[in-house]
Amino acid sequence: MPSTLTGPPRVVTRPPAATATRSRRPSPARVASVAGRVVALALIVFFAVGPILWMAVSSIRPADELFQSDPSLVPSDVTGSWYREVFAGSEALRWFANSFVVAVASTVISLAVGTTAGYAVTRFTFPGRRVLLAGLSVAYIFPAILLLVPLYLALNSLGLVGGLAGIVVAHVTITLPLTTWLMKSFVEAVPRELEEAAWVDGLGYFRGFLMVTLPLLRTGLATTAMFSFILSWDEYLFASVIGQGDNVTAPVAMAGFVTSFDIRWGAIMALSTLVTVPVVALFFVLQRYYEKGLTAGSVKG
Amino acid sequence: MSVLRPTFLSRGSAGRHQRAGMAFAVPAALVFLVVLAYPVFESFRTSLYNIDLLTGEASFAGFGNYTDLLADSTLRQTVGNTALWTVGSLAGQLALGLAAALLIDSDWRGMRWIRQLLLIPYVVPVIATALIWQWMLDGQYGVLGHALQSAGAVPEGSTPLGLEGSSLWTVIVVNVWRGFPFAMLVYWARMQSIDREQYEAAQVDGAGAWREFRHITLPNLRSATIALLALRGIWTLMYFELVWLLSRGGPAGSSEVLSTYIYKLVMGEFRVGYAAAVATSAGLLLAAVGTIGWLTYRTSTRRRAHA
Repeated sequence: MPSTLTGPPRVVTRPPAATATRSRRPSPARVASVAGRVVALALIVFFAVGPILWMAVSSIRPADELFQSDPSLVPSDVTGSWYREVFAGSEALRWFANSFVVAVASTVISLAVGTTAGYAVTRFTFPGRRVLLAGLSVAYIFPAILLLVPLYLALNSLGLVGGLAGIVVAHVTITLPLTTWLMKSFVEAVPRELEEAAWVDGLGYFRGFLMVTLPLLRTGLATTAMFSFILSWDEYLFASVIGQGDNVTAPVAMAGFVTSFDIRWGAIMALSTLVTVPVVALFFVLQRYYEKGLTAGSVKG
Repeated sequence: MSVLRPTFLSRGSAGRHQRAGMAFAVPAALVFLVVLAYPVFESFRTSLYNIDLLTGEASFAGFGNYTDLLADSTLRQTVGNTALWTVGSLAGQLALGLAAALLIDSDWRGMRWIRQLLLIPYVVPVIATALIWQWMLDGQYGVLGHALQSAGAVPEGSTPLGLEGSSLWTVIVVNVWRGFPFAMLVYWARMQSIDREQYEAAQVDGAGAWREFRHITLPNLRSATIALLALRGIWTLMYFELVWLLSRGGPAGSSEVLSTYIYKLVMGEFRVGYAAAVATSAGLLLAAVGTIGWLTYRTSTRRRAHA
């Protein structure tokens, strides 16, 4: 806005942009650019969400409609038969229970270890601190496939191959760097003065941590637990190598489901929906923290 | 009392403080040593042996596994595929992520919800991702497979995942679908912190939307781009699950990448020593790429700090 030398001095107040454009008649160029934006946005949302909707729709479609050479977009009829088939005709409940147990166990372990480690590196200086931090960063970006051989050999010699405990150990190698990293950033946000007051009051380091810091980390702990859970729930590589027989997690069992049956896409889409729902539900519960956690801690995958 | 005695052994409060810190760090340090540092060492040691997983026999091979690498023609094709897979995935994810970030960077009503929707592909479990796309691309009944056949892009009754010419590209497209929301989020978060006055000044100067983007938005996204390239680059180079679950590296090795090759060597051929040699070499390559990326990042931020 050019300043004027004539006229009475005035305070230049800019009206909010929205009302300014609304009061004026929008120019054709502006209408075109808004229309272009809307179309582009619609396309990108369709690209992102379309496959997920297709999965959900396919899981409730009757077989005759599913296996048409020219499928219609909207189902004309709805059936629960694929879900019934999944639960009656396979060990689906067991697979999901295994996945749940493994995810909870590896989350509890890595949260306990990761929180104390995150606390140690933010609040204390001690010999080896820098090494631990460096190791943490390397572990964080270390690709799982490069651990495959040694981890398999180690778990094999410990007799842990074939059981859920072995999968938990393997998953901790993936979740621990993440939980430590995230908890470190959450500890940094807790004011140091509170603990120092507790130390001065004679609470000691450990009781100070338990009684002062830990309660303040509730949100961080919940967020980190969810991320860790999702990571373990999602994991396929280690689970496929270590899990055997009845002790397989849902993703591993599902991958086998495709090749072993004549391909029953309705049932497969029902399973896919079931494995996706908990994760997406967590995501919507946590959306506020999710973006923060993603950008601050950056999740692998 | 000796002067050389380390602080953490001293009796004073400083010593107590350090000991407390070490106590908090011990569990994590142990886990890191046992499940990360030791395996990395063990991986290198394994690579010096020929091991038969079935019989458990091991014989020392020296660097024989490493010289075998050079003669492995499958490995050569695999490295080429891995490079294409990484560059293609990153280019697609960053380009689409940037476009999406620009589109959601407005205060329209409901934009918060659209942002959540756009993040979903990143959240969906990889097994579900693979199965959804396999189903959609199915040669007989898949909605996309059918569309591609009608358009003449693939022969009747076939899926692009099953053709040597298109399997790798198809896996890349699915990886772009899965990964672009992450780039979008990083770019969008960075856009929030760009000083709005720069745009206001540009509008006073009568700059159009393109020039604003070119001269204000893009330069401000430089560090985000480098961070994305480094992080996603390392993850994508060695990302196993998506390729394996979509195409098993096939057909005929046309979508084989380093991670699926290592997996097959271990689980399919039981050539553990050779697999460890491939993994160790890949790890060294990654370390080199990571170091270069980090140095680039550091010099670029330094230069800006001086400017």
